[in-house]
Amino acid sequence: MVLEKDIFKEFEDIVGIGNIDDGEVITNVYAYNWCMEIFNYMEGKEPIPFSPIPKAVVLPSSTVEVQQIVKLCNKYRIVFKAQSTGLGPWNQPSTDNSIIIDLRRMNKIVKIDEKNLYAVIEPYVSGSQLQVEIMKYGLNCHMPGAGPQVSPLASATSMNGPGFTSPSTGHSARNVLAVEWVLPDGEIMKLGAYGLKNNPDFFHGDGPGPSLRGIMRGWAGTKSGLGVFTKVAVKLFPYPCSTEYSVKGYSPNYDFEIPEFMKLYVMDCGNFKKLETVMLRVEEQEISFMCSYLSGFAVMAIFSNSIESLMDKIAIGQMKAPLVVIIAARTQREFYYKQKVMDFLLKKFKIKNIIGKIYTPNPTFYAEALRSNLGLHGFIATGGFQSTKGVADTANVCLRSTKSNIPLKKGFIKQGVIVNDFGEGTWMTSYESGHYFHMESPTMFDQTTEQSVSGMAEYMEKSNQLDLLKHLGAPFFVEGTRMHELFGPHMSNYHIWLRKIKEIFDPNNISDSGFYITPQNK
Amino acid sequence: MNEKEYNQMIKRCLRCSICKWIPQLQIKSQKYATICPSIDMFNFHAYSGGGRIIIALALEMGRLKPSQELLDIVYKCTECGGCAVACKFLNTLEPLEIIVKLREKLVSLGYGPMPKQQQYIESIKSNNNPYNELHENRLDWLSNDIKIDPDAKVLYFVGCTSSYRRKEIVLATARIMNAASYPFKILSEYEYCCGSPILRTGDKKSFIDQVNKNLDIIEKENIDTVVFSCAGCYDTFKVDYPLEREYNFKTLHTTELFNEFIDNSKLKLNNQVLQTVTYHDPCHLGRNSEPYEEWDGEALQMMPLVSLNMPEKPKRCGTYGIYESPRDILKKIPGINFIEMERIKEYSYCCGAGGGVKSAFPEFALKTAKTRIEEAEDTGAEIITSACPFCYTNLNDGIIEKGSNLTFYDISELLLMAIGSPNKSIKESSTEVA
Ligand SMILES: Cc1cc2nc3c(=O)[nH]c(=O)nc-3n(C[C@H](O)[C@H](O)[C@H](O)COP(=O)(O)OP(=O)(O)OC[C@H]3O[C@@H](n4cnc5c(N)ncnc54)[C@H](O)[C@@H]3O)c2cc1C
Repeated sequence: MVLEKDIFKEFEDIVGIGNIDDGEVITNVYAYNWCMEIFNYMEGKEPIPFSPIPKAVVLPSSTVEVQQIVKLCNKYRIVFKAQSTGLGPWNQPSTDNSIIIDLRRMNKIVKIDEKNLYAVIEPYVSGSQLQVEIMKYGLNCHMPGAGPQVSPLASATSMNGPGFTSPSTGHSARNVLAVEWVLPDGEIMKLGAYGLKNNPDFFHGDGPGPSLRGIMRGWAGTKSGLGVFTKVAVKLFPYPCSTEYSVKGYSPNYDFEIPEFMKLYVMDCGNFKKLETVMLRVEEQEISFMCSYLSGFAVMAIFSNSIESLMDKIAIGQMKAPLVVIIAARTQREFYYKQKVMDFLLKKFKIKNIIGKIYTPNPTFYAEALRSNLGLHGFIATGGFQSTKGVADTANVCLRSTKSNIPLKKGFIKQGVIVNDFGEGTWMTSYESGHYFHMESPTMFDQTTEQSVSGMAEYMEKSNQLDLLKHLGAPFFVEGTRMHELFGPHMSNYHIWLRKIKEIFDPNNISDSGFYITPQNK
Repeated sequence: MNEKEYNQMIKRCLRCSICKWIPQLQIKSQKYATICPSIDMFNFHAYSGGGRIIIALALEMGRLKPSQELLDIVYKCTECGGCAVACKFLNTLEPLEIIVKLREKLVSLGYGPMPKQQQYIESIKSNNNPYNELHENRLDWLSNDIKIDPDAKVLYFVGCTSSYRRKEIVLATARIMNAASYPFKILSEYEYCCGSPILRTGDKKSFIDQVNKNLDIIEKENIDTVVFSCAGCYDTFKVDYPLEREYNFKTLHTTELFNEFIDNSKLKLNNQVLQTVTYHDPCHLGRNSEPYEEWDGEALQMMPLVSLNMPEKPKRCGTYGIYESPRDILKKIPGINFIEMERIKEYSYCCGAGGGVKSAFPEFALKTAKTRIEEAEDTGAEIITSACPFCYTNLNDGIIEKGSNLTFYDISELLLMAIGSPNKSIKESSTEVA
């Protein structure tokens, strides 16, 4: 289904020749995404990695162009799906009566305010790009586990947002300050201090008047279900150590000069109870750059760059409750203090750091940790990977969720449809000094075999049901009407309110609701 | 890559976009973070390494059929291989090989190469060079002062581009070898195109003919080494020929040879070259010149869904390209202040000429060259140098088009200046390379 000629022309007049394409090759390429086969299977469709094909793809270069596109979509009742860096099924249109707004040409770092610790960015600035520019000021930014190549704006405004450096860089939902937002009807909304009449700026995310941050993204983001975000201010943090950074040698065997004041700890806490206590104590001390519980298999993965090198590390995989902590400092004194605290805790809890004794990682690991590149190791076993769970709650609830998932996962491992990661495959990290945690259960499968895809999809569904049954909070993938209607009644009927938001903000249901919620009348 | 590997791999793109950037750990600035000239120019995801993998899959699934739109996208790629280096830091996909195979498939289905590329191929078949030049003019570069030794064990394979378009390179190369008293011979009227322009555009069958034609001749010569000043010929002989037919001579690029000359004191660098110089890594000499390592292991199923290659299958990541010898030469030339660009070595940004782009899509080639020239300008260099006649022509075109103050010299020309040989180089400018 292509755009009618004169409608195409109207879009073209907005973005200019060459910045809209409705050819079958371009539109087919935009119909593809990672894990789409699972979501297709879940909806009873053929498990192929393609979604409905959009009518066209447009590449706006400014907020005004985005606004005009959105207005045109309303005029012709064409659904739009916005994407920044575009990784994942959430970027896929739910209908073929749609266009993709690819924000690739909006790629400016608008402002770095090193004194007030925030940067204003457009959608197609990648995490790496932002990080290298702010490192020049001794600062760091948050990046989701998806890696440094994805868009901090997308994560801050529209997606979940945990990351490996979360203990020191927070969570995307909590890092977002002022926002420029093209609403589903084309009106431009400026949230926070950017909406002020006098001296608008980006330093604050709430008001004027009641805060709309919750409506704007809530916990998990609206995934293009509520307009298009064109600028965002994100919080910045002190870079954890010296910003001198030198990677030598040749890919993939780079050599990295580990910063002087940086140390890795991998400790087996033995059981979940002790893990919880240790993790809470470490986080209470506010000393970690990174602090994650990673199941044995996941620890093997972050230290490996191929399936073969992963298998070398089976000994590490035997750990029962591994805690991975990185401390980093800018001065000798700060480093000394942090080490002293860690020494004290290790002694107190009678646990040992295996690094340097049982295992010494390649120095590149430290570069990857600093550059938030560790999440991509999730793909090395089969190339197929997806998470389940995703609850954000106390350490205790997160670990209960981990435990309850093991028998379920083992059942699917036994069927041979997902990879044997000893049944755990968990990643859990802390936020805001251990005031809350998030856990998810990354699982590897083979996206090229129907049996594995269907097995993975069934496992994901069962895992969600388990969360409901055992009161383990809402997982990441409560998205789309079906899931909201499943979880809403168990969670204060939030779905009713969500639907009201959608109805009011998007009266024509033009902002793709596939991964958000449809209005009542649909 | 065989058919089975191709069919498996095209199903595995994560659409993570890593292929659009230099390796994440190497990003030094927002401005020079990208690796792929094609997506940089055309913006739609289809123009990235990953996008072309999706096209390959959609074709195999029958969702797409060959069309003009499809050809255009598949051929608007310089085949620089930057996407593959970035992807393979962690992954095992082969975006570049998939693109090459995709072109081969299109050609075998009766589509592709692009019309201008087809003209070059026809010219290679009839004139032995892609430029429609007369074969008998191939030796026009040969000046009287050059000493050629018919009994030498070393063959200098000049290549079409240097013979017809960039004579300054062949002259400098020959003079340096003479200055080092290094005997060499040439194939004279028996030198034909190496076949690179045919291979890159997907006409595998014609390429194999060219391989056989060239090897039949070279193997009759009593030589043990073939030297190349053209990165394209070098890469093709070193990496691509052995996949079609084994041979038993050594291949050397002149940068390797000249560096040895300096180290063995065969050349005296008497003259100062008081210039600030930056070096552009040609894709054919850098990441793509890494040979395939033989692997005769097997894939063992360790557990359901997980198989292991035993022993581990070597990944061709650009690790073993020729990076240091040109840099060593520059550092040894007295007076040169050598300064690096941000994107270098295995993650160097392409000059824009490769993969048949310069002939089929000259505007795209030129825009890419200008981007690279800007990066060179940002270093503060006065001279940009490289070791490939394609990069020479395209970057020089970029300098002219941009009105840049930079000057381009091939590395052999700089070395010639340093050894104080009379600089009789002929500076030509031509936008026509294959
Ligand atoms: C290995 C791996 C690990 C991962 N780990 C994490 C993790 O730790 N934490 C986490 O949060 N996620 C994680 N994910 C999922 C990940 O968040 C998303 O895949 C990723 O953030 C999305 O990529 P993106 O930034 O390219 O955004 P996009 O893919 O561009 O967008 C994400 C969503 O936001 C919408 N969107 C994007 N830009 C806009 C805009 N300007 N206006 C309106 N809507 C927009 C899109 O439609 C889409 O629904 C992981 C994924 C992988 C593959």
